[in-house]
Amino acid sequence: MHQRTVPCQGYFAPQKIEEALEILSGYVKEIKVIAGGTDLLVQYYDQLYEVNSWLDLKNIKELKGIKIYQNQMVIGAMATHKQLEMSGEIQRYFPVLSQAAADIGSPQIRNRGTIGGNIVNASPAGDLLPPLMAYQAQFKLVSRKKEMIIPAEEFFLGPKKTVLKPDQLLTQIILPLPFEKTYGSWIKIGKRKSLIIATITLALLVEMTEDNKTIEDVRTCLGSVSPTPIEIKEIREKMIGKKFSELDFNQLGQIVEDKISPIDDIRGTKEYRKDVAKNIMINALEEISSARRSHK
Amino acid sequence: MSKLTIELTINGKRRKVETTASTRLLDLIRDDLHLTGTKEGCGKGECGACTVIMNGELIASCLILAPQADGAVITTIEGIGSGGHLDPIQEAFIETGAVQCGFCTPGMILSAKKLLEEYPHPTEEEIKRGISGNLCRCTGYQKIFDAIRLAADRLSSKDSGRGEEDA
Repeated sequence: MHQRTVPCQGYFAPQKIEEALEILSGYVKEIKVIAGGTDLLVQYYDQLYEVNSWLDLKNIKELKGIKIYQNQMVIGAMATHKQLEMSGEIQRYFPVLSQAAADIGSPQIRNRGTIGGNIVNASPAGDLLPPLMAYQAQFKLVSRKKEMIIPAEEFFLGPKKTVLKPDQLLTQIILPLPFEKTYGSWIKIGKRKSLIIATITLALLVEMTEDNKTIEDVRTCLGSVSPTPIEIKEIREKMIGKKFSELDFNQLGQIVEDKISPIDDIRGTKEYRKDVAKNIMINALEEISSARRSHK
Repeated sequence: MSKLTIELTINGKRRKVETTASTRLLDLIRDDLHLTGTKEGCGKGECGACTVIMNGELIASCLILAPQADGAVITTIEGIGSGGHLDPIQEAFIETGAVQCGFCTPGMILSAKKLLEEYPHPTEEEIKRGISGNLCRCTGYQKIFDAIRLAADRLSSKDSGRGEEDA
């Protein structure tokens, strides 16, 4: 396919990360970085004319791959939701991420929207964010001066607010490959299946010991219940070192309900979200418990 | 904003178009190329009326800047069917009464086309998911489902017919 950089003051589509960083450092105040555009163009729906310049990342090949290097999965920031959904390696090692990607928007949105865009947009309801936190993702942020790698849980500061500086680009998402006996569940609740901003989401991961009997680690991450995606760390002390038969699912659900403080908004009331949080935690535990039993 | 020129292949024809960096692909298709079969509904990617196929993928043309489509190959509703004949999917939509006000129809047909490319014999679930990005406020979807199933049957019998001729 033919690709070129349109020569225009208002639009840049460089081929290399270095060129993109150079453009970014020169236009920091008045440039918008655009990936798939599925959030950005909604946000700027009636004021596109206010954007002075666009930095389009579409031609940068380095940002597109999904690859395993040693014990890590490295996902380029421009990988689309469709690619995350369809990638055999993501399905195999990170099924909760793949399922979350499959639940985003619609075919039209999944074909364009990117993982990097979903992260940088930092919506409290961003569907990929709880799975990324649960899988202990790290983000590579690059500026002309330096590169840094930052854990997902330190990246988000509030709704639409992150630690990303105006001269930095998110280039890679790095996920450690999970242990073999890791079980996951993804639950998204919304008023309809497609094209819905989630009322609440849950990504639950449980790592079992080698013999598949004892819980080694657990991560309970939720979206749409606070200004950023969050992990309920209190669940760890209740589950680690235990067997599934020793768990009280109802009590674990209650902890999730008690530890979140969601708001009332058009997608659901605080009370509704708290009730549902408990119920989906119980459902997720049941799902994982039965997957573990059938996988000897 | 300054002007820029992009090149794209639309419905098989190579076109050069002068546009701006903040023009949406949807507006370029409708206002500059005068292909008004592509509709604007919500303008926010939720209704699917502006659906086109770009580089083989279904996209919402309201959520793409014109220069993002530079070099792309695009098919709109005007580009399916051939030699004055409707596409079998279009025929099936007419026959089953899957068209009422018609506003969602171009997007719906393009989604159906992609669906049948990926799943020539789609299940109910696959049809639902395939057209999940397209809203219809008239038909209740049942007739659209019927149309897609009818088109699937015809396309697959046509394909097998061709296979026999080749043999």
